[in-house]
Amino acid sequence: MDNTRRTFLAQAAASLGLLYLTGLTPEVLAQAHEHAKTAPRDLDGQPFRFFTPQQAADYEAFAVQIFPTDDTPGAKEANVVRFVDFALSEIEPQNKQDFTTALEALNAQAKKTAPQATSFAALTSAQQIEAMKAMEKSDAFGTLKFYTVAGFFGDPADGGNKDKIGWKLIGFEDSFYYAPPFGWYDGQAMKEKA
Amino acid sequence: MSATPPQRRYRVTDNVDFLIIGCGASGSVLARELSRNGFSVVALEQGPWLDRSQFTHDEYRVQAQNLLTNNPQKQPMTFRKTPNDKAVKQPALVYGRMVGGGTVHFTANYWRFHEIDFIEASKKGTIPGTGFTDWPITYADLEPYYTKAEWDLGVSGLAGASPFDPPRSKPYPLPPMPVKSSGVLFEQGARKLGYHPFPAPMAILSQSYQGRLACAHCGFCMGFGCEMGAKSSPLPTMVPQAVATGRCEIRPHSYVRKIELDATGRAIGAVYFDRNGKQNLQHAKAVIVSSNGAETARLLLLSQSNRFPHGLANSSGVVGKYLMFNTDPLCGATFEHELNEYKSIQVTRILHDFYEIDPKHGFYGGGGMDGRFLWTPISYGSAGMSPRAPKWGSEYKKAMARNFNRTMFIACHTTSLPLENNSISLDDTLKDAWGLPAMRVTYKDHPDDLKTGQFLLDRGMEILDAAGAQDRWAFPVEETTFGFHLLGTCRMGRDPKSSVINLDHRTHDVANLFLCDGSSFVTSGRGQPTETIQALAFRASDRITALAKKGEI
Repeated sequence: MDNTRRTFLAQAAASLGLLYLTGLTPEVLAQAHEHAKTAPRDLDGQPFRFFTPQQAADYEAFAVQIFPTDDTPGAKEANVVRFVDFALSEIEPQNKQDFTTALEALNAQAKKTAPQATSFAALTSAQQIEAMKAMEKSDAFGTLKFYTVAGFFGDPADGGNKDKIGWKLIGFEDSFYYAPPFGWYDGQAMKEKA
Repeated sequence: MSATPPQRRYRVTDNVDFLIIGCGASGSVLARELSRNGFSVVALEQGPWLDRSQFTHDEYRVQAQNLLTNNPQKQPMTFRKTPNDKAVKQPALVYGRMVGGGTVHFTANYWRFHEIDFIEASKKGTIPGTGFTDWPITYADLEPYYTKAEWDLGVSGLAGASPFDPPRSKPYPLPPMPVKSSGVLFEQGARKLGYHPFPAPMAILSQSYQGRLACAHCGFCMGFGCEMGAKSSPLPTMVPQAVATGRCEIRPHSYVRKIELDATGRAIGAVYFDRNGKQNLQHAKAVIVSSNGAETARLLLLSQSNRFPHGLANSSGVVGKYLMFNTDPLCGATFEHELNEYKSIQVTRILHDFYEIDPKHGFYGGGGMDGRFLWTPISYGSAGMSPRAPKWGSEYKKAMARNFNRTMFIACHTTSLPLENNSISLDDTLKDAWGLPAMRVTYKDHPDDLKTGQFLLDRGMEILDAAGAQDRWAFPVEETTFGFHLLGTCRMGRDPKSSVINLDHRTHDVANLFLCDGSSFVTSGRGQPTETIQALAFRASDRITALAKKGEI
């Protein structure tokens, strides 16, 4: 960590006497902050390593129904498809087959919903929702949803949660060091004590 | 992956004083104590020796790669509910698999047992069909070692804050951690109902202590290693202190397959696979197994011989039996304002009002309760919301955005009765990556354990109500099929016919073989076993040292 930031943190901590009471010395803050830095992984524009283009399209269509782009960004903007490609290539290759099987189940359901459909991605949005509702309780749906949630709310170091879209949605800060009060209720309790 | 820090090295042919198998909650305590007492020690650990700079908050990666725990791919298991069922391959338990063991990733709840835990059968009567019995030692025997554990490791808490607390010879070394919103709400709700919530004793530093830095409230305790070294696991404490004696070698990536005996029936050491898969026999004058409540029993069963056809030190036939998990019923609620529970440690308030549930309810049991969050973003998005919450789509997104910072849970922690059928045994067909018989877990909760869970869960829902919850829900109490507190499989006792180790942790059958970890438990306690595991290890260190100095090993 550069000296400017170290000095800044030390001064910030020193200016808040309370931090010492809770053990948050400048040294603690400096170390916590140093550890918290992880570089996001930017996989935009790179060739897929696990997905075929068709699989990527089918899966992304699914992920976008889990996290649609509405008044806030969704799975597409969070690069969830890139996360899954990276995760199954690099972190959890033993689950490639499970994921492929789940995608096949998704496409099989797509054909049940619309017999003329060539793939899940080719369905209309309404048909996609219908197909997903029909398989909502299956293992295949669970597998696909888990990876979608992991890609949306996971560490940006693994290629998803781009620009911390998922974390921003739910109000998860990522400074990884905090001082009380942490929330509204302990803040109230502190005020009553004071 | 991990470079081993500089330390004393022994050859496998060196006949060291003590070979310790498993360098976790108890093994690392024994390693420090025995090496400080002047003995030469080799501690074998099947997992890596990680430096805290290698820990990460990457929730997905820690889980997916089993960075801190046993790996179901390499160490598959089978599970069945009763001996009459067919065992099915599935992950059945998790344990810490690294130097420091499960205390590296544990939540750091650090509860003493109470006096009643050791003498409950004689106070309340035995329970037909169970192995419910008194411990051969009492709370008074362990009290000095509870105190030692709290002061040597660094525990934050408030002595005397609970009217149910057992007597203690010293206060906690550090003041309690700052209260979170979950703690405030838990306390308010509980007090309205006349209960006695109090600051949770936690093995986490509220202030810098013995050269270690205080907690930075990053929020990643449960399931993660502490990059600050503020979680008081043995990794930043016992392990470097053992190494500093110059008499202890910690040897990671060492997977033990058998304890060897000589012709007279004394242990001579253990055979292990090193990180390259090569088998070595480390010699030692005495062997201590502290591999956890599942692996210790499995290693004894793997170490069968002509002398011990049913498993080493198993003349009683109870090795592997009386496995106890504790159950953890859970209820959650949302509140009007933000709690921001992802910040700081899991638990800041607990209560022990139901430590002993009144027998008039018609069942045996008891437990503790705590207020906490329990989740990190991925796990919350997968399973943390109310069962009534939308599961996907725009409404799911909105619910996540609304609820992530407005949710808390009450976790209940219960007794589990010791049952002979609940056990660790060797699977008939499945093998692990080293070709050894896989672990087979048999477990079915006693009906009273489930009633205890439901009773506490009902009280938890009432507390959430009293705290002003908007929406609340309980996850149903179901039979346990996955364990993480691993207790009771080599129980301590005076009678060699019904127990595996004596009061010194020495096996009844082999004079220089000792066992010390969760497997030593006679009863389950109320759901937070780590402090008792470590207090037992401090006590065992004293007992074993005394025996060695008298030449009685």
